[in-house]
Amino acid sequence: MESLHPRIRLLWIARSALAAVLLAVALVALEQWLPALLPVDFAVPPAAMAAGVAVAFGLGIIYAVRLYQVWQFELQDDALYLERGVVTFVETAVPFVRVQHVDTQFGPVERVLGLSSVVVYTAGSRNADVRIPGLTPDRARSLQNTLRELAVESEAEDAV
Amino acid sequence: MPSEMNRLHSFSAVAMALQRGVTGLSMPFFFVMILSSLFDFVDVGWTFVLAPIGFVAGVGYGLAYYYRFTYAITDDTFDVTSGVFSQRSREIPYGRIQNVDVARGVLQRVLGLAVVSIETAGGGETEATLRFVSEAEANRLQRDIRRRTAAVKQRRREADSAEAGAGTATDTGTDSDPSPGSSPARADDTTAAASEPGQTPSADRTREETQYADSRRKQLFALEPRELLLYSLSSFRPAAGAGLLFLFAVASDPILDYLIAVAQPFGGPAALESGSVGSYGILTLVSMINAIAVTYVLNAGYTFIAYYDFQLGRADEDFVYERGLFQRYSGSVPADKIQAVTITDNPLQRLLGYAGLWVETAGYGPESSGGSQSAVPLADTSRIRRFAENLTGVEPPQFRRPPTLARRRYLVRYAIVAAVIVAIAFGLAQVSALERWYVAAIVFAAVPPAAHLKYVHLGYFVGEDHLVIRTGFWKRRTTVIPYYRIQTVSTRRSIFQRRLGLASVAVDTASSRTFSWGTPTIYDIDLEDARRVHDRSRENLQVALRDRARDDLGLSVDFT
Repeated sequence: MESLHPRIRLLWIARSALAAVLLAVALVALEQWLPALLPVDFAVPPAAMAAGVAVAFGLGIIYAVRLYQVWQFELQDDALYLERGVVTFVETAVPFVRVQHVDTQFGPVERVLGLSSVVVYTAGSRNADVRIPGLTPDRARSLQNTLRELAVESEAEDAV
Repeated sequence: MPSEMNRLHSFSAVAMALQRGVTGLSMPFFFVMILSSLFDFVDVGWTFVLAPIGFVAGVGYGLAYYYRFTYAITDDTFDVTSGVFSQRSREIPYGRIQNVDVARGVLQRVLGLAVVSIETAGGGETEATLRFVSEAEANRLQRDIRRRTAAVKQRRREADSAEAGAGTATDTGTDSDPSPGSSPARADDTTAAASEPGQTPSADRTREETQYADSRRKQLFALEPRELLLYSLSSFRPAAGAGLLFLFAVASDPILDYLIAVAQPFGGPAALESGSVGSYGILTLVSMINAIAVTYVLNAGYTFIAYYDFQLGRADEDFVYERGLFQRYSGSVPADKIQAVTITDNPLQRLLGYAGLWVETAGYGPESSGGSQSAVPLADTSRIRRFAENLTGVEPPQFRRPPTLARRRYLVRYAIVAAVIVAIAFGLAQVSALERWYVAAIVFAAVPPAAHLKYVHLGYFVGEDHLVIRTGFWKRRTTVIPYYRIQTVSTRRSIFQRRLGLASVAVDTASSRTFSWGTPTIYDIDLEDARRVHDRSRENLQVALRDRARDDLGLSVDFT
């Protein structure tokens, strides 16, 4: 089983930091506007709010670290096999015959971190396309090539 | 063979010109209206000049669109070229076509016209729509495309058997192939041609034609009036609620008056403005009952009209169906494009001993149902079961159930839902005059039966060549998935499942039905069993693919 690059944790932590900022903004907005809309006394001390945001961010960090520990993938005889998920642990097998095409992608933050993702498309439900994040660009490219070769090798006559 | 370019029926020119003309007419109208309210120098009077210009331009565009829109049946592809300012040409290989649908509206039937749509697996929209061809042309297209698709398949099969006969030669052949991967179809063509010496393409064609003429369309199933009536009365679709909303939006005042009038004898308010809390409650209750009744009637009416005179037949290796009272739908589904077969029933239909059969493909149909078609809307359960078994070749499934631990999960889950309902009632009692909120606790009585019913309708069967998954109480679905249709297999465990040692196995196919129905999933079985199903599915997919490479074991079209 192969793990992701450790730097992916930074990306996920950055993501949860962004979520924490959004949460803080939402809380402040709620406190500003809610009394005007409803005749309810909604006074929360700023310290409590800050604590709430800090707890959310802390959970985000734990989540990122745990997700990194859990995330694994492997090229097996007949399929690409992945394990991932903190709350719901998912083991997926994508048979090579079913691979329609393989992409490598990276966003701006991934580029800064020197990371890349491989996205494997199947003809199945469109939202179930498989993404392997946190690979070095070289590894991503070699994985893409291997998957493509394996897909061609095992090509079925009539996938859909 | 030089392909012959076809235009749409000339009536399309009129329709397109009018349609674009109206668009051209209305656009300046709206823009001038908006601009005149923003800028002083824009005068409303400009519309009288601009609108006719827009109309003429629109008509011109519509006519140009008509003249630039051509389609052709060529040897390997169905071609469509369209576009006024930039030409777009599209070639759809026959091997990729999922289904060909023909729809005829009321007016179109009077004029002898039809709309043909061609679906492939890719993308979220119809690949090609021919809006208005003559009925004869629609039938010719449907038949021709079907025949050519069958011919492509035939050629491929012959090539495969030729390859299998060649044996070891294929290995070296593929290695030295200058463009690996992308050209198996082309290679097939040449081998097929080589394997049939002495037969010229034209001779081949005439043979196909006579073959087709011999294999007349054969009827497999026709919905009897009794079954149609039962189906209309026993099927419930939430979409009918949209019809109700539409009715309300169109005539909200008369409906409100009617509701008040109906509720009054039961203690409803005399008018909408005057009433006590109790009388408003009664009005709400009576209105809800009315809404449900009207939705039911709308739904029954819709189903009756949509499935009137439903017929399913076969033509070669395709299913062809026809249905509809005013708007007549007809379509074809190639048997080898079917991803999964699902038996549906609801409690009422189960009580009466009836069920329906659906075939799922990867295409996108004219309706939101995607590519899946009702093969048999409603028939006797034993008959439906036999159909499904004949169609897929699955043995009679012996369902296994998840461990009773699963039932405990549902008990907890539904208890939480009930607690939320009670909490909402409590909350309402705090801010409104609602008394005795604790009466809401009665919903807890429904928790054990609900959990039990959900549990007993779960089942799965790991067959020789198929996986069968059954879920749901209100809309029970029994899906038969051939192993060779599996796209991905996932074992999922939430934190709660992990604590109980349970897991769910999701088996994804390319069926477009998974959008609305969700991925077929075996819920809450023991982790060990889940692993076994996961591994068996994967192994069997490989085995089935090897077997299929040898001999084409597909679905049997003659399933009735």
